[in-house]
Amino acid sequence: MATLQGFDQHSSESVKASAAAMDGAARRRGVNWGRVAGWVALAVIMALTLFPFYWMLRTSFSTTRSLASGSGDLLPVDFTVGAYRRVLGLASPQEALAQGGTPASLNFWRYLMNSVIVATIITASQLLFSAMAAYAFARLRWPGRNKIFFLFLSALMVPPIFTTLPNFVLVKNLGLLNTYLGIVLPSLLMTPFSIFFLRQFFLGINREIEEAARIDGAGHARIFSKIIVPMSSAPLTTLAVITYINSWNDYLWPLLVGKDESVRVLTVALGIFRSQTPQGGSDWAALMAATLIAALPIMILFAIVGRRIINSIEFSGIK
Amino acid sequence: MRRVVCLIAAALFAVPLAACSGSDSTNGSGNVTLNYWLWDSAQQPQYQQCADDFTKANPNIKIKITQYGWSDYWNALTTSFVSDTAPDVFVSHLSYYPQFAQRNQLLALDDYIGKDKLDLNVYQPGLADLWKSKDGKQYGLPKDFDTVAIFYNTAKLREAGITAEQMQNLTWNPTDGGSYEKIIARLTVDAKGRHGDEPGFDKNHVVTYGLGLNGSGGAFGQTEWSEYAFSTGWQHAQGPWATAFNFNDQRFKDTIAWWRSLTEKGYMPGLEKVGPGGKSVVAQMDAYGAGKYAMVTEGSWNTKSYWALKGVKSGIAPTPIGPSGKRASMINGLADNIAAGTKHPEAAWQWVKYLASADCQLNIVAKEGIVFPAMVQAATPAKDAFARSGIDVGPFLIHPQDKTTHLAPIADHWTDIQAAMTEAMESYLLFKTDISAIDKANDKINALFR
Amino acid sequence: MTAPAALRHLRRSSSRRRHGDLLPALAFVLPATFGFVAFYIWPTVRGFYFSLTDYSLLGPARFVGVDNYKQMIDDRLFWNALLVTAEYVLINIVTQTVLALLIAVLMHRLTRSIVVRGIIMLPYFVANVVVAIVWYWMLDPQIGVINELLNAVGVDRLSFFGDTAAAMPTVALLNTWRHVGYTALLIVAGMQMIPRTFYEAAALDGASEWRMFWRVTLPLLRPVMALVLVLTVIGSFQVFDTVAVTTSGGPVNATRVIVYYIYDQAFNRFHFGFASAMSFAVFVLLVGIAYVQLRLTRAHDSDLS
Repeated sequence: MATLQGFDQHSSESVKASAAAMDGAARRRGVNWGRVAGWVALAVIMALTLFPFYWMLRTSFSTTRSLASGSGDLLPVDFTVGAYRRVLGLASPQEALAQGGTPASLNFWRYLMNSVIVATIITASQLLFSAMAAYAFARLRWPGRNKIFFLFLSALMVPPIFTTLPNFVLVKNLGLLNTYLGIVLPSLLMTPFSIFFLRQFFLGINREIEEAARIDGAGHARIFSKIIVPMSSAPLTTLAVITYINSWNDYLWPLLVGKDESVRVLTVALGIFRSQTPQGGSDWAALMAATLIAALPIMILFAIVGRRIINSIEFSGIK
Repeated sequence: MRRVVCLIAAALFAVPLAACSGSDSTNGSGNVTLNYWLWDSAQQPQYQQCADDFTKANPNIKIKITQYGWSDYWNALTTSFVSDTAPDVFVSHLSYYPQFAQRNQLLALDDYIGKDKLDLNVYQPGLADLWKSKDGKQYGLPKDFDTVAIFYNTAKLREAGITAEQMQNLTWNPTDGGSYEKIIARLTVDAKGRHGDEPGFDKNHVVTYGLGLNGSGGAFGQTEWSEYAFSTGWQHAQGPWATAFNFNDQRFKDTIAWWRSLTEKGYMPGLEKVGPGGKSVVAQMDAYGAGKYAMVTEGSWNTKSYWALKGVKSGIAPTPIGPSGKRASMINGLADNIAAGTKHPEAAWQWVKYLASADCQLNIVAKEGIVFPAMVQAATPAKDAFARSGIDVGPFLIHPQDKTTHLAPIADHWTDIQAAMTEAMESYLLFKTDISAIDKANDKINALFR
Repeated sequence: MTAPAALRHLRRSSSRRRHGDLLPALAFVLPATFGFVAFYIWPTVRGFYFSLTDYSLLGPARFVGVDNYKQMIDDRLFWNALLVTAEYVLINIVTQTVLALLIAVLMHRLTRSIVVRGIIMLPYFVANVVVAIVWYWMLDPQIGVINELLNAVGVDRLSFFGDTAAAMPTVALLNTWRHVGYTALLIVAGMQMIPRTFYEAAALDGASEWRMFWRVTLPLLRPVMALVLVLTVIGSFQVFDTVAVTTSGGPVNATRVIVYYIYDQAFNRFHFGFASAMSFAVFVLLVGIAYVQLRLTRAHDSDLS
């Protein structure tokens, strides 16, 4: 962590230096066609990345029934906001059917809230308990510590599908199907990755600060909450972002245990909406409107804290 | 704020969230909300109407309707049974109900029928018996029946020089396709405006296919291939609850081989174009509506939706006369089933009874003119309702009149049968295998019963 | 330090000599251990037990010994599922790694713009389900925009999801599209650890970008690449979402990946015991793969140090 920051400063200075060196090289050779080609390639890649987002937007403002005839138009076909009305439950069943939609009532606000609740509970709880365990593995000395840690670590190899089937039966037997608790339960207390990830950082924290606190009479709870956690805010943020995105995007588990409308999360709702095919074909305009709405919260989050997220993901790659 | 607290409590203490909202499934005053599932979105409004009327008559029972598309309906339903979230009542299908009945997931209705002295003779003959499982118990009350016919685009018919009269007496056989195939060829048009039966026809650049395709049909084939196969005298199996299937019968294989040959000749789109597993982006109906198909074979329940298509005028013709000398159509009757695990069996029964009654079938469903209700006395009003919309449904009703209907297969293991046949049919239709794939699938299916 | 505090400290350090911080440590690891036992150990045991039963989830499980395993070995579709999953993993990993490297090099050599990086990252924030739905729509053979574009330049329409040969590569490339930016950023992070002086020296020697990539970037990137590969192989073996919302395993069995097949058997076809047997087999297989991978890449040593 410390070395990384130091390295970053060093590198940003050397960026300028090397950029200057490159510029010099480029000037000697005239126009640097390699760089031009590079920028063209990057532009193409960015266009490929962005185009589907544009297409979602374009389709969502089109009329479903007209999409087949105007399939090549780059602008919305028969511009309408009807799709958003259907998705947000503002259209009557008759109106929806007439526009090529499903008369089923949709409640995307509900699904949105469910996604927020599920992802927030998982992130907060998993981070806390994993950090606690990581603290015990990294900073405390006790017999069997390494053996137990490696046992935990070995669970990294367990494919989720393998635990999914028995966990489903467990949640079913506990009577927790279609409850928030049932959805969050398996990832509520730990994941091997979180503990492993945080332990690596906790190991690197300077012991002297901790010892000083101990001498001042601080207990483990105090050291953990006042020293270790604040000093690890960067890795904790990284892990929080990753955990949040993963829980937000998870599909199979909530599909199995949380299909009921009261706890249905956005991904599951979209899968169901996709299958609610009026006369065999989906209501594509509404589906695109719904996918945009589903992607929006994370995108907004991204716009606000984008720099931090990008930095933290690069950061996670290093460790 | 109270809501937030409640949500947190729900999360922590596993209280189902329903407890946090006003719409409890049961509250102090004995109010009940029944979950009701169906797959046909076009029928949802009419059943919503039935539900509203039902709630008016039974103010303490509310009905919540959920619709899933056909391609996911049975997956969703099976998963819901497994995860204890099955709907109280759901629209059921002859081929699928046995596997639920066999696993004791359906409520037998005999006691309720006896108690309320219901007369099952008010329905079209034979429909009620289909819902009697092999253990002799009655699991459903008939709601409607359907048959298959041909829809054609009148403008394209005129353009090809075919008359509506010609359409009424088509013949078919698996060898050369009879007059039916001639018409399909004639209706097919390539990018240069040449018809399928003209020299120089370019089968790789077809603009309008003579016949549409809606998927492989799997083991069921209701609107896809059953109207041809039945007209050879073939049937899926020897009556209901059979333990052997006939997909290895030469008549069936010849039928499918002929069907696929339409793709080879460029008269029908290839399966790869219409989406695997029936999950197409463009429904057969929309492709027809966009002028990509001149004819399609379709079920009676979709009639009104075809008439609602903009820019296309349609006519209906009966399915062709086959080698047996007769026309043929599958007749499929739907019914409502009650899940054995329902918390409100009495209310669920009231709702099922209402759906099967004249109040719903005669006064609402028949008047909507979307499906043919199961009650005998609703037949004429339903036909009139179609006629009022300018639709002559004679080509559908010709089958029950002439007794050329064939039953939908009723058997155990349906999901496995469907999986095996879908695989075989898809690989055959995609030209990945020869017809022997169907023999192998049939062996696999028959092995299920051993 | 006050006297009682000093005393407490003394007492604690003396006890630490014998048990270390055993009691507080237990308190700290307790919740995680509970989660570990309940949702990793117990399901492993139970999953194995289910694999020895005939179980529909609707009635009681009936012990049948190794019947499910016998059935699995005879099941052509099980082997097919492993095969198409391997095909998916291969296409996904290769395209993703190569493209990510390319993007990473471009970004590393051209720009540190946060906007560029943000755009490259964007698909990662969108759920697999959304990605699948959007591309399914765009790739439709009849009215999908990609086919319209292909058609406009004179290429025949292609059934991306409907053709047995094209379906699996299409599914794999969708996920490449979603993950490539994320992977690229991981690699960029790795590249930033390569001292600039290496490049400066190479630039002064007149080395081309191409040469710098092969001589400097790639060799020094090996540890990061190893880690990225281990993470992505295990992850991409789990592909489910994309298949579930697009092809449902079809056409024929071209995209019936193992997780989808297990799901289908367990939850749609009442064969939960059989599905458990297959998932146990996948478990054994993945542990084997991970072991070999760790051995080969030695990521093991560097991570745990």
